[in-house]
Amino acid sequence: MGVLADVYEMLNTCNKCGGCHTACKTYKLTGSEEMSTRGRIQLIKAVADGKLEPNEEYEDAIMSCLLCGECAVTCPNGVHGNELVMAARRDLKLRKGIKPFAKSFALKTLASPKRLGMGFRLFGGMGKSVLNKIDGLDYFRGIDIKNFPTAKKPFLEQVPEKIKVQNPKHKVGFYVGCFLNHSLDQTAHSVVKVLAKNDCEVIIPKDQVCCGLPQYCYGDYETAKTNARKTIDTFLDKYSDAEVVLTACASCGSMLRHDYLKLFADEPSYLPKVKLFCDKVVEFSEYMAKIGVDQSKLHNSSPLTVTYHDPCHMVRGLKATKQPRELLQMIPRVDYKEMFEANRCCGAAGLIQAFYHEVSTDITDQKTQNIKDTNADLVATSCPACMLRLQGGINKAGQKQKVMHVADVMANAYED
Amino acid sequence: MLSQAVVKRLKEIVGERNVVTDKVGLLTYGYDGTLLSGEALGVVSPTTTEQVVEIVKLMNEQDIKLVPRGAGTNESGGTIPSAKSVVISFTKMTKIHEIDTENFVAVVEPGVINFDLQVELAKKNFYFPPDPSSFKASTIGGNLGECSGGPKCFKYGVTRDYMLGLEVVLPNGKVIQTGGRNFQSEPGYDLTRIIVGSEGILGLVTKVFVRILPIPRAKKTMLALYDKVEDASQTVADIVAAGIIPTTLELMDNLLINTTEDFTHAGLPRDAGAVLIIEVDGYPEDMDGQVKTIGEIASKIAKEFKVAQTAVEVDQIWTSRRSAFGSVARVRPSYGVNDITVPRSNFPKAIGGVLKVAKDFGVTIGVVAHAGDGNLHPLILFDQRNKEETETVHAAEQALCMMALDLEGTISGEHGIGLVKKKYLDKEFTPAAMEAFRKIKRSFDPSNRFNPGKIIDL
Repeated sequence: MGVLADVYEMLNTCNKCGGCHTACKTYKLTGSEEMSTRGRIQLIKAVADGKLEPNEEYEDAIMSCLLCGECAVTCPNGVHGNELVMAARRDLKLRKGIKPFAKSFALKTLASPKRLGMGFRLFGGMGKSVLNKIDGLDYFRGIDIKNFPTAKKPFLEQVPEKIKVQNPKHKVGFYVGCFLNHSLDQTAHSVVKVLAKNDCEVIIPKDQVCCGLPQYCYGDYETAKTNARKTIDTFLDKYSDAEVVLTACASCGSMLRHDYLKLFADEPSYLPKVKLFCDKVVEFSEYMAKIGVDQSKLHNSSPLTVTYHDPCHMVRGLKATKQPRELLQMIPRVDYKEMFEANRCCGAAGLIQAFYHEVSTDITDQKTQNIKDTNADLVATSCPACMLRLQGGINKAGQKQKVMHVADVMANAYED
Repeated sequence: MLSQAVVKRLKEIVGERNVVTDKVGLLTYGYDGTLLSGEALGVVSPTTTEQVVEIVKLMNEQDIKLVPRGAGTNESGGTIPSAKSVVISFTKMTKIHEIDTENFVAVVEPGVINFDLQVELAKKNFYFPPDPSSFKASTIGGNLGECSGGPKCFKYGVTRDYMLGLEVVLPNGKVIQTGGRNFQSEPGYDLTRIIVGSEGILGLVTKVFVRILPIPRAKKTMLALYDKVEDASQTVADIVAAGIIPTTLELMDNLLINTTEDFTHAGLPRDAGAVLIIEVDGYPEDMDGQVKTIGEIASKIAKEFKVAQTAVEVDQIWTSRRSAFGSVARVRPSYGVNDITVPRSNFPKAIGGVLKVAKDFGVTIGVVAHAGDGNLHPLILFDQRNKEETETVHAAEQALCMMALDLEGTISGEHGIGLVKKKYLDKEFTPAAMEAFRKIKRSFDPSNRFNPGKIIDL
């Protein structure tokens, strides 16, 4: 009860006006009230009031929330539906643990670099060769698994700890994150390239771990804290010369900058250090826009129509929307087209795409159509999870657009 | 509880996933925008007219009541499940069949969200004038069930005025069509108008022919700021008396200015006693003249009068106005909303009446009003957990209704009667008129199958 008691006033502040219906994609695409923010809030309140015993249907309502955060910006009363769902997940965790699949995947695998690396290598090797032999299994729960990229070797094993440049103006600590390390290593290389081209020395700590977001999202604050502490201590103690902690994953960025503060709210002695760390966190596009990019060094020979997808953690987490668009438009011959609902969730939403694949597939299909309507050649974004989800959706729809990180688009515009 | 046999048959009609019988599901279909709640035996979400017919037949056979529901954003308890009822939810009937710009008609299913229709219409440079504040969430079916208004009512009228025809499933399971594409009404009774505003007690609407209009070529949005809410109400009366019809004449008092400002940061002055949002539309060349006349009238009393300069500014003003209801929980967690309406000329008196009720009962009332059509939304703020306070609020609500009736007004302009205002209906209508209501209900629905207990008791 404790967790829900803490948020009770916010639960009670929802006056059921239904304004959040428009914000909630899981409601819009199912038409089911229990899949709406208002529905979820009323269910959580019923549990808090002792009128409802958490059961399987309740867990589904709570676990199927995308945590996209759109409801929080839409609610005229300032009720943050996503935070209430987080509290409910924490409450569920304390009551009865976490669903077996979420447990094995989110908690154990992601939390341990060894297991994660092994998992990706097994999937990339044996897993894919098996998959390729199964006809019709191109998509597992809407996820384009056959085309799911895996790094031959983790990015962290491919690069030295320090990337030096001739006239260093800045020292940047690079928090790579699981996706860029194990799956989209090329994007990690792009980040390093763009930083180096802009006179940044890049420091890449080898012993970095998962930021803890997946565990945090499923209410496992203990594991999340262990990983968070390790991340904070690594960057602040061992690599204190890094001016900033840069990430190219909006989700990691939002966790590192905002959620760490919430996570350690109950540890006042450690909190000042957390705050120091959070203030150093910066997302790739934010940083490039801040230090300024020399436009004259960017080259592009053929016309390119580009659109941008705002990851949830970028637009509502880090609240950065202008910077990536500005960077993209600095590239010569880029024709920028805004898509409809660019700032709405792509359907990936962490593990939702696996657990609640039907609704997440519908969300992705809608996004894919919005992309198609722009006639863009290329979709840029700022989160590896979105990149994979969008590319999968585009491939499935038989469309041609290529999905790239803003860092990839920029890296291509620099001559080697 | 529904018997397994009935659940099985419902699932055969609409498919497994469109039937809800578990506690969690039922709980989320047990409330609306009011403080009331109930629990249905089940929730069924049809996707076609044929399915609706089959459901009605089954419910007749099993003698189970049916409670229709759209998005459940209503403010009168009209969708609260009654005892031993099944909720029929129209949120999965969301097709826009046709947008006919030559004949100014759109044909839609009842679950289409008002805003989604506006988005599709805007692509063809058309719009659907009725736009209740809840329009981003509420459905066309719900709008017509309650006969919703909206900021544009002053010039353009309410939902009723945009309903050309309906396909309706009657309580006996038969399907009728009233009206259609024609602008002239059909011969005989205007059945469309009997169904619109009947809150689902007479028939279940499965298809709607709505009238649409081309988007006006130009519009101007103005703000007039006042020290006192009474002053604002005088400008409203003056504008009406001068024979000018703005699209919109919306009023918000100081309390609402502040709660909405907390959310939107639109830049409304927090110290103003009241603000009037005035909008005019039409041909571009008409704009300056209208703005000038309104400015002259408003400036006689207003402490400031200004014209919004950018589209962003206009958007922010409207976001503020539309979030008025939603935002008040920033002050107190519960609210009771009223929609008393008086003849326009009595509007200043009604504002005075609201202030008097607030003082007499010692309650906090925020006032937002579609001032142009005399429709007031006094929002009484309280905490439902405090029993004593809640009773005072109910007494104050009754006083508001009586005050409106004394001013030749009505207890409900656009939210419907539902459960919340049922007890005041016989204060507005004579016993003979009440009996006429009952007779109409009985002739449509002799077994009281559809939404029983709403509007009137039989």
